[in-house]
Amino acid sequence: MSLPANLQEIVDDFAGMTREEKMETLIGYAESLADLPERFREERAKMEPIPECMTPVFLFAEKADDGSLTFHFDIPPQSPTVRGLAAILATGLNGCKPEEIIAIPADFYAPMKLEDAISGQRLNGFRGVLAHMKQEAVKTMG
Amino acid sequence: MSYAHPEYLVDTEWVAQHLEDPNVRIIESDEDSLLYLMGHIPGAVQVDWFSTLQHPLRRDFSTREQFEEICSTLGITNDTSIVFYGDKSNWFACYALWVFQYYGHTNVKIMNGGRIKWEQEKRALVKEVRAYTRTSYSAKEADKSIRAFRNDVFKQIEDKKPMVDVRSLKEYTGELLHMPNYPQEGATRGGHIPGAVSIPWSMAVNEADSAFKSVEELRALYEGKDIKADGEIIAYCRIGERSSLTWFVLKYLLGYEKVKNYDGSWTEWGNLVDAPIEK
Repeated sequence: MSLPANLQEIVDDFAGMTREEKMETLIGYAESLADLPERFREERAKMEPIPECMTPVFLFAEKADDGSLTFHFDIPPQSPTVRGLAAILATGLNGCKPEEIIAIPADFYAPMKLEDAISGQRLNGFRGVLAHMKQEAVKTMG
Repeated sequence: MSYAHPEYLVDTEWVAQHLEDPNVRIIESDEDSLLYLMGHIPGAVQVDWFSTLQHPLRRDFSTREQFEEICSTLGITNDTSIVFYGDKSNWFACYALWVFQYYGHTNVKIMNGGRIKWEQEKRALVKEVRAYTRTSYSAKEADKSIRAFRNDVFKQIEDKKPMVDVRSLKEYTGELLHMPNYPQEGATRGGHIPGAVSIPWSMAVNEADSAFKSVEELRALYEGKDIKADGEIIAYCRIGERSSLTWFVLKYLLGYEKVKNYDGSWTEWGNLVDAPIEK
């Protein structure tokens, strides 16, 4: 199946990049990830931190009147890889409907060949963040 | 009281004073390897635990020849004094130091507090990657006294010798099979190696600045769980990185002589057919 257009475009871009370009682009995404908006701060403070060793990823899904979702993240600057992966997902999926997000295949990123640039272990972060986004998307459908 | 081998530890100020010292090479080794590219200590080179130090095929770190090539490329001579630092309270810096020590490069140090402390002190970080003149490095015979394989662990259980599980408590009790979001670092069984005590690695560092706790605090922490100076100790975690930090603490900060890191760790033991497990 096809991916939402924005996400497909990012996947195609990465597929044609050298290792260095991938790393630079990922850093660009990491730096572009917006801070968590003020209106989520209170709720964020109440959330349980994830156990040590993990990069703590906090995310919120916001539903617009037309049913589309926007994701907001809180990920520490010390974890640029996870920030970059989250920013790619936000850029690729913001504005999509929950049904579209749930339908994204867990291995959608395979053609990006990111394993050239970051270790397979860290790539799992992609699956983790996407799985987390899907859970939040399901909640908005309630 | 000071640490048992204070020469293995330097502070951020010492590093700041030695940025241009030709006899010193500063190496950044991170869990998140993008951090180095985004900014590192001036003159520092990168050794990534995965893309640099892992064997390209086997589950193992670099061979002696591969290690020699890494050092030669980074302009390291057999006399270079190496200072490691990194993110996550120096986990991977300790892992890299352990590998260097394994191949006989004993003039190694950790920058106490790592990246976190350096950043907190608002010290300079640069993007420029400095190239050093290639050297011809020759590694020594591997120091097997600091590395445990699974057969050593079986023997350790049989002999009822001490082991330290440095993972989080939930991993030790078997409640968590793998870190959430890291499924490929998982194991098919949860729990811990029989006889191992739980002393999470993070208890050895101060939360505020990632620096190691005082020698008195460390001694109380480990001796309180019967991990003592005269013991033959094996430390393990999930893939051998967090336990490198504990290995470093026991060996150089507390001066325990016989400490091994089991880098197969839980991803090996928890998948090993016929291996005993406790929960």
